[in-house]
Amino acid sequence: MNSKHILKSVLAVAFIAGLSSCKPELKDVTPTNGQADFSRYIAIGNSLTSGYADNGLYLEGQKNSYPEMLAAQMKNVGGGNFSTPFFTEAHANGSGYAKLLGLNANGTPNIGAETSNLAVRGQVAIPGFGNVVLYDKYSGDLNNYGVPGIKLAHVNLAAYGNLNGYYERLLPGNAGTNSTTYLDFVMAKPYTFFSMWLGNNDILGYASSGGVGDIPTPKADFAALYAATVNRLVGSKAKGVVATIPDVTTTPYFRTVTLATLLATIRATAAGASVTTLYIQTGAGTRAATAADLFTLTLSSAGVMGVPNGAGLPYGLHPLNPIENKYVLDATEVATVNDFTAAYNATITSVASANGLALMDANTLLKQYNTPTQVNGAVVSSAYITGNLFSLDGIHLTPMGYAITANAFIKAINTKYGSSIPIVDVTKYRGVKFPLNNN
Amino acid sequence: MPFVGFSQSFQVNLQGHKQIAMGGAGTGVALDEASVFFNPGAVSFLKQNGVQGGISALYLKTGFRETGSNITEYNKDRIAPPFQAYAVFGNPANRLRFGIGVYTPFGGAMHYDENWTGKYTVTSLDLQAVYIQPTLSLKLTDQIGIGAGLVYALGKVDLQRAVPLTLSTGQSGTAQLKGDTKDFGWNAGIYVKTLSGVSIGITHRSQVTANVKDGDAIFVVPASVASTFPTKFTASLPLPATTTLGLGFYPSEKTTIAVDANWVHWHKYEELAFDYDNNTRIPDTKSPRNYHDAGVIRVGIQNLTTTKLALRAGVAYAFTPVGKGYVTPEVPDANRVLLSAGLGYMPTSRFGIDLSFLYENVLSRTEKNIETNLDGTFKTVAYIPGISLSYKF
Repeated sequence: MNSKHILKSVLAVAFIAGLSSCKPELKDVTPTNGQADFSRYIAIGNSLTSGYADNGLYLEGQKNSYPEMLAAQMKNVGGGNFSTPFFTEAHANGSGYAKLLGLNANGTPNIGAETSNLAVRGQVAIPGFGNVVLYDKYSGDLNNYGVPGIKLAHVNLAAYGNLNGYYERLLPGNAGTNSTTYLDFVMAKPYTFFSMWLGNNDILGYASSGGVGDIPTPKADFAALYAATVNRLVGSKAKGVVATIPDVTTTPYFRTVTLATLLATIRATAAGASVTTLYIQTGAGTRAATAADLFTLTLSSAGVMGVPNGAGLPYGLHPLNPIENKYVLDATEVATVNDFTAAYNATITSVASANGLALMDANTLLKQYNTPTQVNGAVVSSAYITGNLFSLDGIHLTPMGYAITANAFIKAINTKYGSSIPIVDVTKYRGVKFPLNNN
Repeated sequence: MPFVGFSQSFQVNLQGHKQIAMGGAGTGVALDEASVFFNPGAVSFLKQNGVQGGISALYLKTGFRETGSNITEYNKDRIAPPFQAYAVFGNPANRLRFGIGVYTPFGGAMHYDENWTGKYTVTSLDLQAVYIQPTLSLKLTDQIGIGAGLVYALGKVDLQRAVPLTLSTGQSGTAQLKGDTKDFGWNAGIYVKTLSGVSIGITHRSQVTANVKDGDAIFVVPASVASTFPTKFTASLPLPATTTLGLGFYPSEKTTIAVDANWVHWHKYEELAFDYDNNTRIPDTKSPRNYHDAGVIRVGIQNLTTTKLALRAGVAYAFTPVGKGYVTPEVPDANRVLLSAGLGYMPTSRFGIDLSFLYENVLSRTEKNIETNLDGTFKTVAYIPGISLSYKF
């Protein structure tokens, strides 16, 4: 053995050490489009599609809509440009929205409203309908056709562009002069792939107003209209994905304020220490509330509980001054909501199947979070504020919630069309934003 | 703190650079002062007294890809510096010899990006464990030696992760759990030189239960909920016992072959539990681990090429103790292959320098964690160069 051998040995070790610059290699993935063509994707839907959150439509929500996420991922498999009718930076707060100001001493949220930098351009009175708030017009390219408030029942309504400010802003004409139906509008330009998440509002208005503010779209009408709408959208060759309607009765909107929390609050006061019964107004008259009756989130912020009326009877505590129907989805109404939701979803499922479309079962997806479930280590649940899934309005989703739905859409599309659109990273999206200081 | 298992759970054995270069085997041979760790029973068979000190640069790279994603994320570059020092003294002619070892049997530095997809499970783990082991070794006969050491274990842990509450900046909250441990254990072995020339070592290193008492729980969360979060925590973690059978073969005067089989008693690691001082917002956590016992087989060879130069190489295969569904990013463990090489150079009869290089290839593993639902593929490689200096007296 001489120094030459030593040198060789040292070199051999150095060579192995040189490998240390190598990273571990994972097997390559090549996203493919399968049997679908994503070159022009359009998103049809309501508030959930627009990115509505925290009781408002604003720029951050629009940027975190599930169609934006889907379209970004579709770019890996031949997807083209995707345009959402964004509000401008100067008017980034759009319609205005709810924001968390802090938590009160008893843990209940203190919620305020963002009212600066709005994109509200005015208001117009539509004869026979009422006032419609108007927003900044948008005239650029359009792929995300999400219109807050729209029902399936509205898609063929020629006057709808005059009744909904969020739709009006997408149309060239001013409120009162529009006559383009929503379905004609979205179909005006060719597309290769569509998503449609419609139908929520056909029951939501009834539910969120405690069964008094709206009438559910009749099931048969819904079935016929859904089939006809999908039929038109599919046309000769377009592919797409449709989604079922989440059960709104399990959202924080109906599960945060409960008989138990209301009673606890009242019993915590000196005057209410002995209260055991709350009274509610229902379609069938006034009666004592039970745990099967659901209260709206708006009841807590209304500040009406226990307030005496003219006769000195405290609100909600006396049969002659019951909690108004608009704050209560009583057990019978809950059953109605569930019945309609189930019927709508049966329609959606069968129409999807009949047309060979992918189906994203949003109802099943969101329901699983009624039991807190970890998503990449983050606990996600239907709990209000801390659950990360629902935004401050208790019905619409947080960016994280929308990311979870985006992945469910992606999985449904991939399964149906043999594509491999990559999923989004759910943990990159936020839950409910807390304020800087404790107020 | 499952991380303690990381990098050393299978006796990566960065314990003596001769042995590192020989696949981590060394229980059945009386090679040098590192026998204080490998087999206290063999210490009394060392022909000379000596002292050695060494250090490794543990560079570990893990890639993770969430199932369904096309993005691979890597841990940050961090080099952990496990070190080891051993000394053997007493009259080599006597039957009773003394030894002391100071070494880092568990340790790691696993850092992910603060915004990586598994941030709510862990963003970083720093672990240092230093064992101090005074040792007695007795040569019962010319063929049999026994020895034992008391282990005083000093540990330091710092675990960080994101908390799924959104701050006003839009960023997630964070949690940092840090604490110190001081615990005891032991290490005992028997060494036999058989008449056939084969030497045999059997050792058992006890479990050390690392107890973090009154550790700091630092939660950076929205001010409106901060008072509902804990500030202190208690946790304990079994650093498992290891039983080893080692054999030494001497095909020629200049060649030594060492074979070790380790059995690591991981089944004690059933859960990772954190007991917090304030449970208003978060309950005490009990994360299931349910590790099972696992073995490692190691083979190493040393050739004294000249009087001054020794060449070494080794190979090992370690079975993971982590069952399906229990892989976590701080310990992205799987079955692994280890390859090693090294050389020793003795410019004088007393002074020696040993270089080692260990390559670990942790096999790719795809699964969904049953607790966190983090679903993806982990692939890890580690490159561990090391050096030690020794002096005989």
